[in-house]
Amino acid sequence: MSLKEVLKEEPHVGYMLTNEAIVRAALEADVKVAAFYPGSPQTEILDTFDRVSHYRDDLVVEIAANEKVALETVAGAAFVGLRGFTSMKSVGGNVASDTLYSLAYTGVKGGLVVVIADDPYAHSSQSEQDGRWFGYTAYLPMLEPSNPQEAYEMVKKAFGLSEKYGSVVLVRTTTRVNHQSGLVKVGKLKRTPFDKLSWRENRRSYATVGSLARKFKAELLEKVAKMKEDPEFLALNRVEYFDGKEVKVAKPEEAKGIGIITSGVAYSYVLESLQKLGREAYVLKLGVLNPIPEKLIGDFIEGLERVVVVEELFPYIEGFVRQIAKEKNPDLEMIGKKSGHFLEMLEYNVPIVIKVLAEVLGRELPFDYEGHFKRMWELAKLAPPRMPTFCAGCPHRATFWALRRAMGRPENYYLANDIGCYSMLALEHIGWTDSLLAMGASLGIAHGVQHSAQERVVTVVGDSTFFHAALPGIVNAIHNNAKMTLIILDNAVTAMTGQQAHPGSPKKVNPYEKRIDIESVLRGLGVEKIVVIDSFQARKNIGKLREALKYDGLSVVISRGECALYHFREYRRAGGKIVPYFVDKEACERAYNCIRDFGCPAIVVDETDLKAKILPEVCVGCGVCAQLCPHNAIHSTAVLYGGEDKPHVTIEDYRELEQIMLRRGGQ
Amino acid sequence: MNVIYCGVGGQGIVLMSNIVGEACARKGIHVVSGELHGLSQRSGSVIVHQRIGDGLSPLIPYGGADVILALEPMEALRYVYFLKPGGTVITNTRLIHHPYETENFVKGKIEKYVTYEEIVENIKKAGAKLYEIDAIKLAEEAGTALAQNVVLVGALTALPDFPIDKETMLEAVKASVPEKAVEANVRAFELGYKAMKELL
Repeated sequence: MSLKEVLKEEPHVGYMLTNEAIVRAALEADVKVAAFYPGSPQTEILDTFDRVSHYRDDLVVEIAANEKVALETVAGAAFVGLRGFTSMKSVGGNVASDTLYSLAYTGVKGGLVVVIADDPYAHSSQSEQDGRWFGYTAYLPMLEPSNPQEAYEMVKKAFGLSEKYGSVVLVRTTTRVNHQSGLVKVGKLKRTPFDKLSWRENRRSYATVGSLARKFKAELLEKVAKMKEDPEFLALNRVEYFDGKEVKVAKPEEAKGIGIITSGVAYSYVLESLQKLGREAYVLKLGVLNPIPEKLIGDFIEGLERVVVVEELFPYIEGFVRQIAKEKNPDLEMIGKKSGHFLEMLEYNVPIVIKVLAEVLGRELPFDYEGHFKRMWELAKLAPPRMPTFCAGCPHRATFWALRRAMGRPENYYLANDIGCYSMLALEHIGWTDSLLAMGASLGIAHGVQHSAQERVVTVVGDSTFFHAALPGIVNAIHNNAKMTLIILDNAVTAMTGQQAHPGSPKKVNPYEKRIDIESVLRGLGVEKIVVIDSFQARKNIGKLREALKYDGLSVVISRGECALYHFREYRRAGGKIVPYFVDKEACERAYNCIRDFGCPAIVVDETDLKAKILPEVCVGCGVCAQLCPHNAIHSTAVLYGGEDKPHVTIEDYRELEQIMLRRGGQ
Repeated sequence: MNVIYCGVGGQGIVLMSNIVGEACARKGIHVVSGELHGLSQRSGSVIVHQRIGDGLSPLIPYGGADVILALEPMEALRYVYFLKPGGTVITNTRLIHHPYETENFVKGKIEKYVTYEEIVENIKKAGAKLYEIDAIKLAEEAGTALAQNVVLVGALTALPDFPIDKETMLEAVKASVPEKAVEANVRAFELGYKAMKELL
């Protein structure tokens, strides 16, 4: 990531990820307090803010326990009058929404901007959610950019709009916008010192109940009505005429024949499709999703014969266009999801959009996308699937291996999984998962299942999830005397999103942070049976896990082992050397225990002798596989160097090692 | 020029596209990239779309890529539907077998690993102009196996119709890699560039 592009004070054009451009915009807007919980596709906003905070003392950046707390933190800052910013992924929006709906009522004083990032195609999410409804149902303004430049401009503008209306402003993105990079033209970075304001001088009421709520609601409706007419909001929507080659600004009344209404990344697919078709059309690009610019849409569709609405997920815009068309142009032909031309699921791309536009505009497709895809897919199928899996040296792989053995017969158990790297247990053929819903949900589900099923219930959460949403479920399980086993996979960081810190993490974002010890929390809550294990002692852990599984009540196992990516990065930075393991070919009898039901990416079969082989460039030397081998055929390479770690083991060194071992005839 | 960068998580795929993006910024050439990150685990399939010069959306349409630059051959084949007819594939020569494939192998669900020759045969059947580079070997020669991605960036730069000059690309490499690894990466870039020139 190009931190220097974000920090450079002079105006410039830089190659930036949208998530970086968003941070630049917030910094230029003089944001003072920012708080987040990580989650794809918005994590790089947090990461960039975190890194920026090391270079600037004019802002506070925190990683919060969850999205709700993050939103409340920045709302508190905005109540006092400072500018606040947070971002969250779609499902994080649900967690924060309880506060968000009331916050819409009270409003804010300092500018407060919230990015909500959806994930069409559920690339890295539990569901394909449509966050646009948050803006609509909470009566909050919502903007939607389609590329990094627009994201930069909209976020910067959003702070001003937030203060103008005393309202939170939402910015909705999707994965393909968040993870889009391009050249972004940015302005001057001019920041003011961090000065606390006097609450006494600034205060107004931020309490909302009963009669107050009714007053706020009336004000809220007035605000939304004003925003609808506000030129600042209207300027974010754009009517264009595309002549087949170039885009020109047009007036809504000019639109004749066929028009297209779109927003977000779908706009880029529309433009590229029109370019490829070489066909003219009027395009209304919406930058404001709430309040919907009804007059503008009305003017645009009034003279049209057909309108195509191109948007991913819900027919959100389409619904409004239908309503407006009833009055403005009842004969208008609508092409969209309801007409069956587009799906309400997955993400779009040019081949999907161009197919519909070619049909509607009466043009031949310039290329047989589907046919080409099908022909090539036949050839591509030869490549075996490569889904994400636990990294080499991941503590979870070792914990689950031991758990499986402790269970003996997994069919006697119900396993309630949760959100984190361990979710992959649901994908892993070596694993199994009976349910997997949302952050912390495993605890409540497990509680219901232990009331209802004959099988013993086992539930899993990670350390970050423990603090994020599992605690109330744990309190509930203790209070209601649940009979089940909770396994807390403590790998020190929020691993899945890129090893960010959390309240129990040894890693710190701010010097004033206090580390919270999970074991002490559980003891304080009154858990009587706590077993702490070292994740990497897989063989020894079988018995300890068995003991926990047999316990007649709530037992908790804390499996401690640092995330491999985090641990070895820190280890290398501290000057440590990675010492890979190797297979002693003489001793290997092809039992394959190291491969069967373990799934380490560093272990493969050597096709020359069908024995196991460890790839030194992948192995990080966790040594768990050595515990699994019944023939004691796996050893650390350090052994070969008389206990000395070799600084850098190349593939050629490794080949040499194998030869040395063969000559020695094993250990 | 439309380029697909692909490989296995952990090989440094996003960095490859960032180097080219950085070079575009230096030359003022329009560029749009669509990356897929999220899960930080290693071993998964990773792909980045990049449109240099033209292209409006972050995703290259099927059959629209001029080049597939692959750090792993199976990944080059997996995304071959993005390649335009007669397009170029530059691939690293070393296969990385996924643990599922290995497990299926020892459990007898498959008879053998898919081979490099089979993969290459299908890439050729797809109508690609294929260039094979042992990037790990060249990267180790340069001083660090981690620089295999920069070897391939060097190879990409050597393509006759690549729109950015070598000097600008080298500046972008220097600006994009960690300071203490600059020298090794410059060597890696040069080795990749030279290897590709010889293949052309």
